[in-house]
Amino acid sequence: MARKDLLDITSLDRQEIDRLLDQAAPFKELFTRSVKKVPALKGKSVLMLFYEPSTRTHSSFEVAAKRLSADVTNFDVTQSSITKGESVRETIETLQAMRTDFIIVRHKSSGLPGVIAKLTKAAVVNAGDGAHAHPTQALLDAFTIKEQYPDPTGRKVLIVGDVLHSRVARSTSTILKKLEVEVAYLGPGSLVPKVGPENIRRFTNYDEAMAWQPDFVYLLRVQMERQDVQYFPSLREYHRLYGVTEARLAEIRDRGIYIMHPGPVNRGVELCDAVMDYERSLINDQVENGIAVRMSVLYHLKPESGDS
Amino acid sequence: MNLLITNARLATENSPEFTPTDALISGGVIQQTGPGLTAPAGTTVIDAARRILMPGMFDAHVHFREPGFETKETIATGSEAAINGGITGVVMMPNTNPALDNPAVIAAVLASAARHARIPVFTSGCVTKGRAGKELAAIDGMRALGVRMLTDDGDTTHDPAVLFRAMQYANELGMFFASHCEVPELAGPRAINEGVMSYRLGIKGSPACAEEIIIDRDIRLAHAAGAHIHIQHVSSRLGMETIRWWKSRGDVRVTAEVSPHHLLFNEEDIGDYDTHYKMNPPLRTRADNEGLVQGLIDGVFDLIATDHAPHTPFEKSQDFVAAPNGITGLETALVSLYHHFVATGIFGWDLMVKRYAAEPRRLMGIPVPEIAPGHTADLILFDPEGSTTFTPEFMRSKAQNTPFLNQTLKGSIDLVILGSNILKSIF
Repeated sequence: MARKDLLDITSLDRQEIDRLLDQAAPFKELFTRSVKKVPALKGKSVLMLFYEPSTRTHSSFEVAAKRLSADVTNFDVTQSSITKGESVRETIETLQAMRTDFIIVRHKSSGLPGVIAKLTKAAVVNAGDGAHAHPTQALLDAFTIKEQYPDPTGRKVLIVGDVLHSRVARSTSTILKKLEVEVAYLGPGSLVPKVGPENIRRFTNYDEAMAWQPDFVYLLRVQMERQDVQYFPSLREYHRLYGVTEARLAEIRDRGIYIMHPGPVNRGVELCDAVMDYERSLINDQVENGIAVRMSVLYHLKPESGDS
Repeated sequence: MNLLITNARLATENSPEFTPTDALISGGVIQQTGPGLTAPAGTTVIDAARRILMPGMFDAHVHFREPGFETKETIATGSEAAINGGITGVVMMPNTNPALDNPAVIAAVLASAARHARIPVFTSGCVTKGRAGKELAAIDGMRALGVRMLTDDGDTTHDPAVLFRAMQYANELGMFFASHCEVPELAGPRAINEGVMSYRLGIKGSPACAEEIIIDRDIRLAHAAGAHIHIQHVSSRLGMETIRWWKSRGDVRVTAEVSPHHLLFNEEDIGDYDTHYKMNPPLRTRADNEGLVQGLIDGVFDLIATDHAPHTPFEKSQDFVAAPNGITGLETALVSLYHHFVATGIFGWDLMVKRYAAEPRRLMGIPVPEIAPGHTADLILFDPEGSTTFTPEFMRSKAQNTPFLNQTLKGSIDLVILGSNILKSIF
């Protein structure tokens, strides 16, 4: 089945997830060679439409597209007429006229990439929309987990932090459930929804969560910028209750638990400095795998604009 | 115009049973009713063929967008939409631009209605200037032009002291208050219930308590001020139970309305960000649907009102967060309620007539049309065997922001008469 867009994880079945992940492995191997480029998307155009600031995801997609030999254009939102009140629809019609093959979009509004996908023949990749979805993050997380456990069935992932505002928590928990990985949430009562998450265990304190014996602790970034009101009293309290402190890192090390984080990390909040040097921290692996997975996604999608 | 309607079945608010009847209308007035009437010379005869005869409906909550947002709707198109849905009177909300907060704007709206509308169009007035919740609007000036309902519409009067004083003042002028209930700090700008769907779609939700708190607050203020409070478009079961409790005390004048969409739909219908289901208060859960239907049957809700809220296709084709709140309702209300509730035996036509024709007019202090000799003809014929497909061609509203678009439902509105005018007829 040819897929035009990647908007979320929910619409992927297990087979397609496996295919996307399997395809990422040979791309990753490429990175160790002196020439890291393949001509898979030569002559294709990739347009980066980022309405929200992003350094990591933006560069990761850009590197991925370039390693596939695509031409990458940055549609600079801050310099465009979007700041003059142009609606998304007009922007997309403009891009359609440019016959772009791929649009990588990030926007603060949940659901907007789906609206764009309906308006264009280009393949649309959701690079994060509001608190809704971040499918390539989920794929790279799954890829990273499978590097440690090729068959992750029955493994346990504890996702810690601000689930309410997190598209990463939603997409990553969704892909993990599809891979039959057990998922639990831990975080402040004000930041973990009580209604909504299905088949996801909820812990209210760290010790309880550790007793569940997770294989991975996945720390979410505390996103102060997304909080319209205060959800917890201070970063200090957050760190004390939900952060990986040095004492907790010792326990994590003893149990051989892996640590993941979508980045960028807030030192002293989600984790203490020592975590950055922890031998089972997969944070840098996630970054590298992100490029491979995004290459796999671009390679997999079929724009309606191109020849078959 | 002399007209004889034969073979009709009369529905009233007092009995679930129909009365077989004919009705002879002359000069816009009903002359005779009863079975077996004969047509005088020169009379047009309409064979109702067992269609249901009842008073025209009355919608106490519509947004006609004039002045200011005429690309969405005008008084002309909105009132034609009402007629298409069997509705022969409406009350406009004041969230126009400028807001309906002074006699000059009210007079302009009423003049436009007199010119463009074939049915009576009433208007509410603002509690505060510009609906901003600070300074009181020109209350008595608006009253002098016939305004009875005061409301700040979608912006709940935030400061309880402002509303309390307005209640004490306007009550003595014979006016009442209508409340869109919402604590903005809790509800935020998002019209989605806090629950399963808000999590799934990644949009911060608005909890039902944001609405329920103001339902209770405003009734409590009315209780203390001795004023009449009307609670608009209740969306939650607990909100309904709050009203039920206050009504059971019997010491406060409280009325309440429920909208067809809150009876029929719930948050799950939003599916993949379908903006047709975005309105405020938001759709809640299936349990709330059931609670609201029960509230309507039990009489906790005095009336049905659509909150007809037209928007342009462009506005509603935006992403869910950016798209405006609201759903149209005038053309679909009667048919959809028949299809889902009357045809399925959940409630009867007596409830429909009481809650959608009689009580809204009582709220506004205007006479309830009767299908009896000596009364002005204000009636509709409804065909329960018929069907309606809500195509863009069918719609008279400028807007089509309804999930019923292109759907076919049971029942059709075949004749609408007001005075000597046949406003809609398939005959």
